[in-house]
Amino acid sequence: MNKNEAIQTYLLALADDELILGHRDAEWTGHAPLIEEDIAFSNIAQDEIGHAQALLRIYESLGGNDPDTMGFLRDADEFTCCHFVQMPKGDWAYTIVRQFFFDAAEIIRLRYLKNSTYELIRELAAKIYPEEQYHLLHTQGNVERLGDATEESRRRMQRAVDEAFEQALGLFEKIPGEDVLIDEKIIPDSRTLEAEWLQFVTPVLKRSGLQSPVIETNGTVESNVEPLYGGRQKKHTEHLHKIIEDMQKVYRMIPGAKW
Amino acid sequence: MNDTQLPIWEVFHQEKRGASHVHVGAVHASDEEMALQMAKEQFARRQECVSLWVVREEHVVKTNYDVPFFFARNTDKEYREVYGFPAPLKGKHRE
Repeated sequence: MNKNEAIQTYLLALADDELILGHRDAEWTGHAPLIEEDIAFSNIAQDEIGHAQALLRIYESLGGNDPDTMGFLRDADEFTCCHFVQMPKGDWAYTIVRQFFFDAAEIIRLRYLKNSTYELIRELAAKIYPEEQYHLLHTQGNVERLGDATEESRRRMQRAVDEAFEQALGLFEKIPGEDVLIDEKIIPDSRTLEAEWLQFVTPVLKRSGLQSPVIETNGTVESNVEPLYGGRQKKHTEHLHKIIEDMQKVYRMIPGAKW
Repeated sequence: MNDTQLPIWEVFHQEKRGASHVHVGAVHASDEEMALQMAKEQFARRQECVSLWVVREEHVVKTNYDVPFFFARNTDKEYREVYGFPAPLKGKHRE
């Protein structure tokens, strides 16, 4: 894989994560437990889909197909999103925990990408970063509150953490071609991101009264569970096929229609 | 109907620095920090905003619609109204 292909592969993986999670979040529109949160979450969903579009524009500028084609005319087994974002929306606790885990990973990744040696990525990262800071503020705020609000909220949040943790580690599955880009300081190493993510989320969960499956020794945090990998290798869950079908249905009826 | 959700916060929105904070509506939220976030989501998304205030609804002191004398204007007070003194548009003289 040459450098150009490696960049495209990387951008596509990030864009697919954003696009699919954005659609998952949008499934709450009209159904969230509070009307305020309904709107807040719909905003976050739109932001994530917007980030996917921006990443896909860079992909296109490197000789790829346009964002609409990539999002709406590609089959599920051509996507490279992690399993984490494919999972059904679950209950509100799972949704909040998933979004918190995702936002934390995004912030950590973007901090590196803001210093990428590749100009288009560096510029986009700087643009997206403040939005993700806000997402994280919001989702972390919700985790901290729901973690110990009531017996029911604590129980549901803990169940969500137990379920989501190994899935979230899938965000850091190595993306094919990564090594070339790490050497050129275009992107950070996935292992570095994972280590920093564990270091970040563990104390937040602890503060919120929630336990995480980690081993802590002398200031370092290691995961105690097997990450759920496969997505970057285009091995997917049945859930992805279903959401892609829903997502692409209208577009495929009249491809290229203008709204 | 009783409101069974979280506490209510009145929201005041400022479009530019120096402008007045204008009441735009209310949100439900668990505490101050979340109230500001919810206010941002509901009222600062489609328009310019540089500052928001949130105030617990119960902290707003209100007049009572059922006390008619409070706002009564039964005698002619036309002399107090400001028509007839057309104010120039704000800032226009600087053009």
